[in-house]
Parts: sequence; structure tokens; C-alpha cells
Amino acid sequence: MIPRFVARRRTVALSVVVAVGALLAGVTSPLSAPSVAAENYQRISGEGSSWAANAIDAMRVNVKQFGITVDYNPSGSTAGRKNFLNGTVDFAASDIPFQFKPEDGSAPESPAAGSYAYMPVVAGGTAFMYNLKINGKRVTNLRLSGENTVKIFTGVITMWNDPAIQKDNPGLVMPARKVVPVVRSDGSGSTAQLTKWMIALHKPLWDNYCKRSGRAPACGFTSFYPTISGMIGQGQDLGVAGYVSQGFAEGAIGYVNYSYALSSQFPVAKLLNSAGYYTEPTPQNVAVSLLKAKINTNAADPSVYLTQDLSGVYTDTDPRSYELSSYSYLILPTKVQGQFNEAKGKTLAAFSYYAMCQAQQQSESLGYSPMPINLVKASFDQIKKIPGAVVQSINIQQCKNPTFAADGTNTLAKTAPQPQGCDKTGGASQCPDGTGGMKNVPTQVKPDPGNGGPPITTPPTTPGGTTPPTNPGDTTPSTNPGDPTPSTNPGDTTPSTNPGDPTPSTNPGDTTVTTSPGGVVPVDTTPSGGCDPTVGCDPSVGGPEVGGPLPTTLSMPTSQVTSFGLILLIVLLVIALVVVPAFAWRYFATKRMPT
Amino acid sequence: MDTLTTRPSVAEGEPATPQPLTSRRIRSDRAFFGIVSSSGVLVLALMVAVGVFLSYQAFDALQARGLAFFTTSEWQPDRNQFGVAAVLVGTLLIALVAVAIALPLSILTALFIVEVAPTWLRSTLVALVDLMAAVPSVVYGLWGLFLLQGQVVGVSRWINSWFGWIPFFKVNGADPTSPLSSASVYSASAFIAGVVVAMMVMPIQCVVMREVFSQVPPGEREGAFALGSTRWGMIRVVTLPFGRGGMIGGTMLGLGRALGETIAVLLIISPEFVIKFRVLEVGANSVSSLIALRYSEASGFELSGLMAAGLTLFAVTLVVNFTASWFIARSRSGASSEA
Repeated sequence: MIPRFVARRRTVALSVVVAVGALLAGVTSPLSAPSVAAENYQRISGEGSSWAANAIDAMRVNVKQFGITVDYNPSGSTAGRKNFLNGTVDFAASDIPFQFKPEDGSAPESPAAGSYAYMPVVAGGTAFMYNLKINGKRVTNLRLSGENTVKIFTGVITMWNDPAIQKDNPGLVMPARKVVPVVRSDGSGSTAQLTKWMIALHKPLWDNYCKRSGRAPACGFTSFYPTISGMIGQGQDLGVAGYVSQGFAEGAIGYVNYSYALSSQFPVAKLLNSAGYYTEPTPQNVAVSLLKAKINTNAADPSVYLTQDLSGVYTDTDPRSYELSSYSYLILPTKVQGQFNEAKGKTLAAFSYYAMCQAQQQSESLGYSPMPINLVKASFDQIKKIPGAVVQSINIQQCKNPTFAADGTNTLAKTAPQPQGCDKTGGASQCPDGTGGMKNVPTQVKPDPGNGGPPITTPPTTPGGTTPPTNPGDTTPSTNPGDPTPSTNPGDTTPSTNPGDPTPSTNPGDTTVTTSPGGVVPVDTTPSGGCDPTVGCDPSVGGPEVGGPLPTTLSMPTSQVTSFGLILLIVLLVIALVVVPAFAWRYFATKRMPT
Repeated sequence: MDTLTTRPSVAEGEPATPQPLTSRRIRSDRAFFGIVSSSGVLVLALMVAVGVFLSYQAFDALQARGLAFFTTSEWQPDRNQFGVAAVLVGTLLIALVAVAIALPLSILTALFIVEVAPTWLRSTLVALVDLMAAVPSVVYGLWGLFLLQGQVVGVSRWINSWFGWIPFFKVNGADPTSPLSSASVYSASAFIAGVVVAMMVMPIQCVVMREVFSQVPPGEREGAFALGSTRWGMIRVVTLPFGRGGMIGGTMLGLGRALGETIAVLLIISPEFVIKFRVLEVGANSVSSLIALRYSEASGFELSGLMAAGLTLFAVTLVVNFTASWFIARSRSGASSEA
């Protein structure tokens, strides 16, 4: 009786599982190719770039629903390529191609010809994430020229109040704090991209540094950043971002992928481009910049096919471009080798299709830029080379990639907003808007005396309106003076018919609204508000128009209370977890003992 | 009585020879003896195999560098410019800091558990200390990186501002008088790595010491009390002298563990290839963290260099551990216990 009952119960359970499975398959199949849903996939493993790891991790999590399990170890591009050559991983992710002739004197990598193919998988910007406070308030709108950035990472500029940095930031009073450059200690593709950019634009500075660090004569671009005393080396993007975001690390600046600044909720430096604008590596700006990347189209030579030449990006004169934009690649096996076999090839191909199609919708929210249509098409051909690949015929317009336009152009780059006038170099002040992971937190800047008009003391509200302005002098929280008005920005009204054309308003005084649309005249805060950026501000002593303390400061305590309560709860739980088993064990042990 | 006292008959003039005493082992005895001795031999064989393997792999690098391998502090194998001088010094510094912190902590914990704690608390405390030993080192590393480092930076700063005149506690680039000076010169240092490693070493030392302290003969202990000694007096004149060998041995065992600690150190330090004794200053290095950092991306020759570094560490650890067991075996308490 009992076995039969159990058996019946099992069949019921089974049929429920089957039904649910069928339901799931039915739900998911319209989204993906139907063949993907019910396949039997072998587990695959990859290793490499930590720069691209946030995107790849999101893909891995998403493909779990199709029964595809991908392990990914973000141990750095160099380790990824190395282990791909050793055959200990099925695929690698690397920001740079195999180094046949490394310039830094390291041993050359020599993959067997025809054993691999490059597939560009994400685009993004290498951002300079920093931890800097002025009068105890975090700076979120730092600007750096390329030369100053190179000088920071070569130990030439050692103080934040260096005149050169002060010149980049006319709206801030830079503190006399030491600059602490944080670099990668492991072999890294971001280091390679950064050093390549440094060498392309400021070779003498780099060569000089290379000599000082004892690395001469091998001063080419390198995956291993040479360090000097005073620099911090940390492993992987996560380590760099983790160090910079620590409370004690004030003054630190490190290079990581933009997505890490977003997830750490830290600002990134705006970098001066060739058009004279300070820009941030937003997905749109990266898309604009990479229009200038030269992609190798020599399909006959797999060792260079689809690799990138970024020299055009470094000198792009589009005002929206960000110089340190680049693609990151998956290195796919095209031969059965090491632990890789055809069954795994099937999984890898399905994963790659997902990565190039559906996954690109998500890139933007993570801080990466989606792939343009030509590279997606080329990648589909690369995937076919994987042994065991089940070729899918994907209608490329169904991928819902935000860069795809019907006419084959890059929508994201077309619609990318032009930079604000206050982001242009040479102005008397700068934009107060936050960057990176602190977009909603503006920084107070010095008034702009250039126009004789009212100062740019008012930070704009964000579109969501989540962060109210922190300037007591502001009377109209709803105004948005920092935002370029349509009239001053042709890029908004006529989407990028001529992206190279800078905005007609080159004077920051023009775009910063002198009179708010609400008709309220902003108050010059320096004398009347008692709020001098050099001394710090007390919001309570604002002008008479200001209605009491600001919501930002009000919301702080509540969030602190909740976080404090959460921490307390976690601590109690952990203590309970540690103490209870010990006591329980002792209790049972003594009980069992005969006395 | 007579039969018992009869002497065995020995021929006159011949020296007395002892009677051969042979015992035949039964089969189960022999099997047990075989298993036990072979596993003992296996351990030795494994150690030898590790040594031979490391030497074999390290041969290329050692041959290329010769004795300069032990005097060079840089690490650039691709330019044939590498050695263990800096990493070895760093390893020893981190281990010394770890032991300096863990030693008083573990002695006092062991004394508290054995001599002071009430019986109902004792087994709980023992379980807790054992639990500390069971926490994986990467957990300690992350904890040290994200929680402890921020707190210890303040301690480093304090030590540096008051004892900075001692060369050991000097920090280049630190300016305790300036409110804007960066606290990051105190971060990612050998000291912070040492503090974290101390947390991992402490339970091992504590176990050995507790074991030794609990073997103090009750007669001597009660004798001290009978002579009017206080508890502290008894600990001072009976427990501590009795357990001295165990304390030294436990410390050395902990030192051996501290020398080899990898992941926690790797996460915390900022690697630097310079010989320096300023423990509070940013930048440190250790042999095992160097291996972990470079292993996965090393070329053939660099791998050989890493193996040579590993061989050096292996030798140092062996010496430390043998010294430890020698101390334990020689001590009064250790003669009977194999801690």
C-alpha cells in the first residue's frame, strides 16, 4: 500500500513539474529561439576580464533560465588569455587581443593558428573613480584633462590642489590633499588600454615614468602597471573600486570600468576630449566615441579580425566623445582543444548568441554600451566557427538592441545628448552635476563671475526629481538651469545630423540660465546666504526665500536609522549563529554524559 | 618463595647474557602496524616529493639567477631581474606582526579557559576558539579588507604619531600634524595584513597552549595554593613554567601558519617589491601572495621563478616547524604530549 501511494504521489509531482516546465518553456520560447528552451546543455567555464565582468555576470545569470550554466572567473584579462592557452577554461574574456609581440618585454603569447576567434561582447569606458571631499562634502563633478590624468598616474602631480588640477576645476576649491593613485596589481586589460592611451597622447610623460619605476627599457604598453612608492596596487576592478570607496581612502583615484563606479555609488572624473569638453563615459558617450574605432575587417586573418584600433577615438572631435572608450572581447575556441569539446561548443554558442542579442538590451543599465549592428552581425558569423555550434537564424531587429536603427546607423550615438555648455573647457566655473554612481548628488561650485550675471550655484534637479538642490540660495527647486535648453542645443531638436558640430553656445555663461523659467531671480549666495564654498555651507543660514532645511539633509537621518537598525539586526543574527550552536552542543554533550 | 628467587643457571666464567625476548605479533597486530607505519612513511614521502618537485621546477630560475636570487628585491622575470629578498622580508614581517599580536592573546585566552573560566563556560569557549580556526581564510581576508582595515588605519596613525621615532614605526609620507594628510599611507600595510593573520593564527596557538596548561600536575597546583599562593601566583610559579615548552612550540606552529598565509594577505596588501621594515607604511608583500597573484598569468620562466620562491618559503617553514617540535618535545609538558 505505502509504496504504491508514494509512487502515485511521485507521478503527481512529476506531472506537476512537467506542466510547470511546459508552461515555462511556453513563456520563454517567444523570447528566445525555441530550440534553446528544452536543450540539454553542458556546463562551461570562462575566465578573464574583470572590466567586462559585470556585463558577463548579468548574462550568466540570465541564461540560467535556459538551463545554460556558465562559470566565470573575473581574474583579469591576462590570466584569462593564459588559461585559455593552457586549455583550462572553455572561453576567455579579454580587453586586448593575444600579445604576439608584447612591448613590455613579457613573454609572447602564441595561440595555435585557427584555434580561436574574437567576438566583441561589450563596449564601455574606463572611468577614473575617485574619493575626494571638500569641507567634508563629497566632490561629484571633478574634471580632469588627459595630461593631468597621465600626470596623476605617473606620479608627477601629487597634490589635489596642484594648479593644473585647479585649472581643470575652476568651480571648486581643491583641497591640499595628497593624490593616491590606485592601480591594478594583476595583469589587466584595463591597464593595457590605459597605458596605450597614455603612450598615444603623452609618450614623454610615460617614458619618463617608466624609467623612474625601474621598468626601462621596456616602456611599451603593458598589462602590468609599474608602481612607484605612494601608489596602491589592488587586484581586479573590484579591488580597485573597493579600495577607492573606503572611508579612509580620501584622495584616492583609480581606473575601473564605469559600471563599477555605478555599483559602488561613487563619482567618476569627467575627462577632457579633443573637442574641448569634459565628458563622462556614459553608454551614449561611449557609443559616440566608438564610431571612430577602426575595426579590423580582414576576415582572412583570425588573429586580427574584429580587433580594435582606438587611435581615432583618442583624437575624436565630437564634443560628446570619451577618449578611453573601448570594446572587450570574448575569445572563442574554434577547435576542440584542452577540456573543450563539441558538447560544450553547443552551450558556448547558445550563450554567445544570447550575449550578442538579448543581453545587449541590458548593457546600458549596467553602465556598458550595447554593441552596434555591424559588430553583432560579424559576431554571429564568429559564433558559427565554434565546433558543435547550433546555428540560429536570428532576425537581428528582434534583438531589441537600443543601438539598432532601421537604416543601420547607431541610434544610441545619434540620440546622445550634447554636453552642457558648462562642461566646456576655459569657462570660469563648471557644471555642478554629479557623475557616475552619484549622478543625483550635485556639488556646489563657485559662482561664475565671467558673465557678470548670477552665479551657477544652483545644482539642477534630476529628471526624476529625487534629489533636491542643496544650495540654500536657490528659490526654485523645480528649475533646471544646468540642463541645456533646447534652444541652445541643436543636438536635441535635430538628432545628430551633424554630430561633429559643437553647440553654438560655447560660452558657459550662455547656457547657464540667468533667470529661471519660473521667473525667480537666483540669489547671489556668497554675500547674502553666508555660504562660501571655501568655508562650507550651513543650509539653515540660507536666504530668506529658502523654506527651512533641505529635504536631502532631512532624509539622511531616516536612512541612517534604517541602516543602523539593519546592521544591528545582522550583528545579532551573526552572534546568535555563532553562540547558539556552541551552547546547544555543550548542552547535549553534558546531557549525554553519564554522571 | 624459593622458586621465585632461583637464579637462572649460568656457566661459571662466562658473562651473563640477557635472555632473548621475542614476541610474535598476531595477524591483526601486524596489519595495524603495517597500516600505521606505511601512512607515517607516506607523509614523509609526500614531504620529500614536494621538496623534490619544487627544486626540479625551480631549477631554471635558480640557475639563471644563482645567489642573486636571494639578494634581489625586484620581480621582473621576463627581464631576468628577480629575487626573493623583498618578498621574504615582507613575509617575515607580516608573520612577526601576526605572532606579536596573537601571542599575548592566545596565552591569556588559554589561561582563562584552563584556570579561570567556570566549568560551564569552558567547553563553550573551547568550541568558539575552535570555530575561529575553522573560518576559511578568504572570509578573514574580506573581513579584514572591508571592515578591519578602516578601523586599524586609526590605530596605525596613533602608533605612528607617538612612536614614529622608532624606525620600525616610521611612515614615509605621513604627516600626523596635518588634518588633510591622507590616511591611505597607513592602509594596505604589513601591519594590517599581520593583524588579520593574527586572528587566524591565534586559535592554533591557543589550542596547543590550552592542551599544555591543562596538563599541569594537580599536585603542584594544589601545593601552590596550600602554600598560600593566589591564583595569579599559582599561574606564575606553576602553570607558566610548566607550559613554557608548549608556549614556545605553539608560537612557532602559529608562525609557520602565518608565513604561509595567502589569500587574506593578498586581498589586503598593495604589492611592492622593496625591502622595507616600516610595517605601518602602505605597501607590503609576501611569498605566498606573490605566487597567488602571478601564478595564473605567469610565463614558463616566471613560473620557475615562482616555484623557486615557493621552495624558499617551504624551507623556511620546515625550519620553523622543526624548531617548534624540538621545543615541544624537549619541554617537560611536551614530552608526553604531541601537541
